[in-house]
Amino acid sequence: MTFISRRDLLKRAAVLGAATPVARPLEGRDDRGAESPLHEPVVARPFQGRDRVREPLENLTAGEMDILDAVVARLIPSDANGPGATEARATHYIDRALGGALASSRSAYTSGLAALDRYARSSRGALFMQLSATDQDSVLIDVETGAATGFTGSSAAFFALVLNHTHQGTFGDPYYGGNANFVGWDLISYPGVRTMVTAAEQQQLENHTLKPNHKSAYETDMFTKATAQNMSHESSDKERV
Amino acid sequence: MSRRSGPTWRDGTKIAVCAAMLAARIGAQTPQGISVESPTLKADQPIPRDYTADGRNVSPPLTWSRVPAGAKEIAVVLEDPDAGNPPPFVHWVIYKIPPTAKGLPENIPFEPGAPMPAAVAGAIQGVSGFRRPIYRGPAPPPGKVHHYHFVVYALDAALDLKPGLNRAELLDAIKGHVIGQGELIATYERK
Repeated sequence: MTFISRRDLLKRAAVLGAATPVARPLEGRDDRGAESPLHEPVVARPFQGRDRVREPLENLTAGEMDILDAVVARLIPSDANGPGATEARATHYIDRALGGALASSRSAYTSGLAALDRYARSSRGALFMQLSATDQDSVLIDVETGAATGFTGSSAAFFALVLNHTHQGTFGDPYYGGNANFVGWDLISYPGVRTMVTAAEQQQLENHTLKPNHKSAYETDMFTKATAQNMSHESSDKERV
Repeated sequence: MSRRSGPTWRDGTKIAVCAAMLAARIGAQTPQGISVESPTLKADQPIPRDYTADGRNVSPPLTWSRVPAGAKEIAVVLEDPDAGNPPPFVHWVIYKIPPTAKGLPENIPFEPGAPMPAAVAGAIQGVSGFRRPIYRGPAPPPGKVHHYHFVVYALDAALDLKPGLNRAELLDAIKGHVIGQGELIATYERK
């Protein structure tokens, strides 16, 4: 987990500059019987999913996507190392794949994201999106370690599922809807799929000077054929990344 | 054939000799008692929710007194002997606390590299049973009261303790250097 990231700083500056009201009015008390801190003004938040224009979702609901956006932003945050899962559009990959290769995980997202939000509110007094980055990290650690309550089965299983899919959406082939603008491959200095490597390129690769080609594997005839074959086997969560 | 089940005189002699040797050994190494308290925790009482996974899960404040004058470093371990395989389950390991510290403030940072509060500058958090070098509070399975031991060790030397030690590694590293020890025991139960 990280400190205040570059992305946090930029977002806080944007929030302050635009003076956008960010607190959502919520009624009631928390389960400790105290006045809910949700009524207090929120100065800045690490993620503002509802404040941006979004393209139509294919499988997740808008509410689910808000939570998932906030989660992946903490799993692979944007920081001094470069853009993270948000810029890679990892959630776009997940949303799309939940109608195909990841369809078997759809119900796990429904129950898991709802449980995450309930747990955030009961333990930290606010919905996950409304927590500070530090508290979001703290919640995610509890989910990761199985200490969080209210999940179907262990919260650790849900965390592992989301982390795995976030990795797929960030570092998989852009063909599947994530790794937008190849930010994931750039993050790990992956130069891209090549069907042929010259001696000069091999030398550059070893010297870490080979420039990325920024091409999906499916831009080549060879992988396009493989795509056609794989389309008939869209049942496993583990394939096609 | 039957075998006598009670101890023989020979067994009795052995036990007496061993007990005398053990007493001598313990007497030579028994550390001075440290008094461990907290502004927010009470002995044998439930731990407030904020220090558990049902709340903010931040570390509680601790205070200690009667630390031996010769202490050069202090270490703290939070362990739950009612859990773990084998027990105890370790919730927190923190060491290289300066001997001038009178306790630990609330909410020790968990972000990697975050500076420690000035009073405990230089302290390092070791790896807990959650496999992270941070405080993680009680999160027991429901239905049973668990006991949480905040154990404080005073060491007679500033040891070369590397980052990332777990409880077993820490206890091994400080063996023979503990000149003071005390603990505060509190409880927690999930319904």
